[in-house]
Amino acid sequence: MAAEKEGLRLILRRFEEKIAKVLMLASIVLVLASLAGIIAVIAIRGVSALSISLLIQIPKGGFYLGKEGGIANAIVGSLYLSLGALFLSILFGLPIAFGLQREFTKRRLGHITRLTLDVLWGMPSIVYGAFGFIIMLYLGLRASLLGGIITLTLLMLPIMIRALEEVVRMVPVELKEVSYSLGATKLETTLRVVFKQVFPGIITASMLAFGRGIGDAASILFTAGYTDNIPRSLLEPAASLPLAVFFQIGTPIPEVQQRAYASALVLLFIVLLASIASEILKRRASRYTLR
Amino acid sequence: MAKSENNRIRIFTGLVLALVFASLLPGCGKKEQDTIQVSGAWALYPMMVRWGEEFQKLHPGVRVDISAGGAGKGVSDALGGLVEIGMVSREIRPEEIEKGGFFIPVVKDAVFPAMNAQNPVFAESISKTGLKKQTFLDLWIEGKPLTWGEVAGTSSTDIVNVYTRSDSCGAAETWAKYLGKAQEDLKGTGVYGDPGIAEAVKKDPLGIGYNNLNYAYDPKSGLPLPGIQVIPIDINENGTVDPEENLDTKEKAIKAVISGVYPSPPARDLYLLTKGEFKGVTKEFVKWILTDGQKYVDEVGYIQLKESAIKDDIAKIGG
Amino acid sequence: MRIAVIGANALGVLIALGLIIKSWPILTSKPLTQLLFSSEWFPLKGKFGFYPFIIGTIEVTAIAMAIAIPICLFSAIYLSEYAPKHVRAIIRPVIDILAGIPSVIFGLWGVIVVVPFVRWLGERLGVHTTGYSLLSGGIILSIMVFPIIISVSMEVMRTVPIEARETCLSLGTTKWETVKWVVLRNAMRGIIAAIVLGFARAFGETIAVLMVVGNVAKVPNSIFEPAYPLASLIANNYGEMMSIPMYDSALMLAALILFMVVAGFNVGAHYTLWRLRRRGLG
Repeated sequence: MAAEKEGLRLILRRFEEKIAKVLMLASIVLVLASLAGIIAVIAIRGVSALSISLLIQIPKGGFYLGKEGGIANAIVGSLYLSLGALFLSILFGLPIAFGLQREFTKRRLGHITRLTLDVLWGMPSIVYGAFGFIIMLYLGLRASLLGGIITLTLLMLPIMIRALEEVVRMVPVELKEVSYSLGATKLETTLRVVFKQVFPGIITASMLAFGRGIGDAASILFTAGYTDNIPRSLLEPAASLPLAVFFQIGTPIPEVQQRAYASALVLLFIVLLASIASEILKRRASRYTLR
Repeated sequence: MAKSENNRIRIFTGLVLALVFASLLPGCGKKEQDTIQVSGAWALYPMMVRWGEEFQKLHPGVRVDISAGGAGKGVSDALGGLVEIGMVSREIRPEEIEKGGFFIPVVKDAVFPAMNAQNPVFAESISKTGLKKQTFLDLWIEGKPLTWGEVAGTSSTDIVNVYTRSDSCGAAETWAKYLGKAQEDLKGTGVYGDPGIAEAVKKDPLGIGYNNLNYAYDPKSGLPLPGIQVIPIDINENGTVDPEENLDTKEKAIKAVISGVYPSPPARDLYLLTKGEFKGVTKEFVKWILTDGQKYVDEVGYIQLKESAIKDDIAKIGG
Repeated sequence: MRIAVIGANALGVLIALGLIIKSWPILTSKPLTQLLFSSEWFPLKGKFGFYPFIIGTIEVTAIAMAIAIPICLFSAIYLSEYAPKHVRAIIRPVIDILAGIPSVIFGLWGVIVVVPFVRWLGERLGVHTTGYSLLSGGIILSIMVFPIIISVSMEVMRTVPIEARETCLSLGTTKWETVKWVVLRNAMRGIIAAIVLGFARAFGETIAVLMVVGNVAKVPNSIFEPAYPLASLIANNYGEMMSIPMYDSALMLAALILFMVVAGFNVGAHYTLWRLRRRGLG
């Protein structure tokens, strides 16, 4: 009697495991399928819209209604915005990452800073947009390339610092000690020795931050403006790929919608490229890092 | 030893920051002289785009940047000094004038109710009888869940999907004014932008919405945008669509507005707004709009203001 | 360098301060209970009741979590405990790629695929809906938080020592039971932290949700009705912030609420994870 009960229980337990396995596989398939589905839909709709002329021309007749022209304004605008913000975030991010690593690794300021950075990393981009807008009002700036760059920099900094910090952390202490023992100053060590080691990491971090920055819409919605033209100076408004999709999709004019799909595909392509490239670089770089 | 290193870093950082700021300065002066930024009402957007294009052809050094975001944004940007010209498709409010708002009307257009072209109710009934103001009040102000059958007197039991504008805009304000209320009193699913609401109605066979003249009709063909039908309003409430109430084509719609049969609101003047006064190259642009620019109004598909109104405008901006 | 580090902290403080200063006017002129609990949103008449937006935000996030939690948990368990090494090596970066997809692309996909789907679903169930609804917002949001919940959960599960698993297995349990009773029990705190992080991410997501959620300022009665989350409110109305009195203050208040909620959840979650990581290494 007891043995039969045991047998039954065992079967139930094995059955439970089978169900769990099915659920697990179903879940993971669902996750992968949604990614595939998103890329597929965008690609299919976007490919039919793409053409060389679309990529080099700006919209004619206004981006909301014009039936001719292309998305060059958004492509160039996005590149200006993200590269500008990338430059600034490397500029400010490197010292912070180094500082975090060198001086305050174990001390309280380090922990607090890391927590702050994690919180900033999780902040919704619309909050950055609102804050960026406040700064712009304070500085008397209009919605412009500069406004967008400042806001994007704020958005990208936490990502940049986080990624840089991981890289800097991997530099072994011995390397620095050897450098000091050879008579180099702290600064020389940092600039000449450590820098060379972390350089590939900087590239990886940059790609990560760039991918995030170029795809963000909420932060530049009020700060970068939007226009049919390519900005000639920092104070003119700049179009961007995410906003090109957002503004041009909700329209009944098929040619304008096509521009939206094309922008989406170009944006997706750039982001995927940056993601994949940074993954590959991460793997390669870790092979050559000293351990 | 360490100190001089630190000094070097400080000087270096200072130089970099200085460089960054220096690159901004050339941008400043240049902008003042030859950029005109325009934002605001969707209603005026197509006209302004054309005006901008033509003006830039005549003055190649000038750049006109136009974006749309609703009349509310136009007022906000103009009064905030963020743009030179705000496009406004509703009446300017007293508080806005107090903040320094200076405006002139430049063209006239109207808001039209629209429904999906594939909705059989249109051909069966609405194209012949039109809809009365009370129906619009029921749908947009009272929020009654009416069916298309109740609305048009057919047997349909499908519920009407009401759409309205989610951005603060003149079209909604004007439509609401026609119904005796304000934009925030309008019920319905909020969609962003004039093209947006047109698209929503186009995709929803049971949808009803409202659009400005240049979004309800296709600019090239003069017919209602493919997928949409403009709902004739039975203004004299006699149960049929009289010839002058007919809105089949853009031409007829414009005629209805000019003749006064189509009421104002929902027809209304469209304004250009700025803070204080129009200056410099912006003033040139506005003057051009009021003179040579007027020849494009019919082509693009708007209604010209009366000559006396134009003359008043020119005088107002200081000819 | 020290200045730079302090600067990083200052940024967080500055953002909070800026938002507080900008929301001050409306906070001082209207009672807080009215702001938070009134459903009357008529800015032109000076009425700013945030209740529908707060509820909308909470509800759409809750739906997203309801969809995401089971899927992410099972996926994380599979990847951490069952998947062969090479499978894991391929799937992990793929999930990271999902994390990097811009929100506007999710929104676009939502408009093309999810909204019609929800409309069809509604019809099948006899519900009248345009498809722009809480449910659409929830579905899109859930996909957006998959990566963060899965990757953090995986990391946490790995910290459970192998010995614990082996001990359990040696007692004759199935692998699944090991997972249930040992791994999950131990990792529960961390998994909750992962979920909280996902919640915080979903709470503030703007563009993707805005494109599919309907944007009607009313508390929704069902998941098929439209809603109006706080983030969408800010994005839709930033244009006239400056022309209607107090409107800019109201929108900054909305941003402040987002900031505080998201920051609060993030601090809690990260702190928990930090403690777990230290324990894991020790």
